[in-house]
Amino acid sequence: MNTLQADLLKGLTDAQSAELLALGVRRQYPTGAELFPLGASANSVFLIERGRVALTLPMQVQGHEEDVMVEERDGGQVVGWSGLIPPHRFTLKATAQLQTDTIVLDREILVAHFEKHPEVGYLVTRNVASVTGQRLQIFQAMWLREMQRVIELRCP
Amino acid sequence: MEMFLMAVCMTFFGVAVSAMAFGAATSGVQEQQAATLDSKVDEALASMPERFFARDTAPAVAAPPPVVIVPRVPIEVLLAQIERHVRLEHAAAESFLYDPTSESLHSRTTSPLVH
Repeated sequence: MNTLQADLLKGLTDAQSAELLALGVRRQYPTGAELFPLGASANSVFLIERGRVALTLPMQVQGHEEDVMVEERDGGQVVGWSGLIPPHRFTLKATAQLQTDTIVLDREILVAHFEKHPEVGYLVTRNVASVTGQRLQIFQAMWLREMQRVIELRCP
Repeated sequence: MEMFLMAVCMTFFGVAVSAMAFGAATSGVQEQQAATLDSKVDEALASMPERFFARDTAPAVAAPPPVVIVPRVPIEVLLAQIERHVRLEHAAAESFLYDPTSESLHSRTTSPLVH
């Protein structure tokens, strides 16, 4: 992965990116493996080097609880930003759709690094805000489209 | 004259006796017939208005609720449709972010879950 293409590292110099990534632990997930479950304590952020991760939520389908995909993330993108944002609980379940390589960044280590390098902390926090903000806008639009359909069904 | 009066009296007497005999004979039968008819009345028919001519429109009979046959879609197919729907909706929402207009927000979808 070109570190400059990673969502989390936008705006950082190569040296800053390399230093930040060195804090993480490389972890590989085979197809179908779970990165984190819904509702678990979020203590880490996952930077996807390659592969693909499905973010799912449980839904009742024909009387069974099924994990329904709500979003996909692939190389260069980050999952598990709840690790950086209070209350530090995962609000989705993440599963590897393909064999996936990640760099797992522990929150406490990251926070300690940001305290030493506030400019890095600012840029990373801004990038996380961008990821969360984009997700909010997308789901806002998706919700409104579904609401429009509900209204059309009830008041044709 | 005497013969005539005798004939009239005999006639009245005969009619009176006949009437009494008829009344006595038929009073039990009517009750029995009424009871038999009551037990044979078809309530469904009784509730229908009378029709004399064949061309009279048939009364509306309350139809049983229609049986809706919903084919049970295999769960794998349904999950695949949901996933496709989410991808399409996600893409539509992303295109709205690039071009935030009412038209792009409410653009049509080809998702089978909607059509």
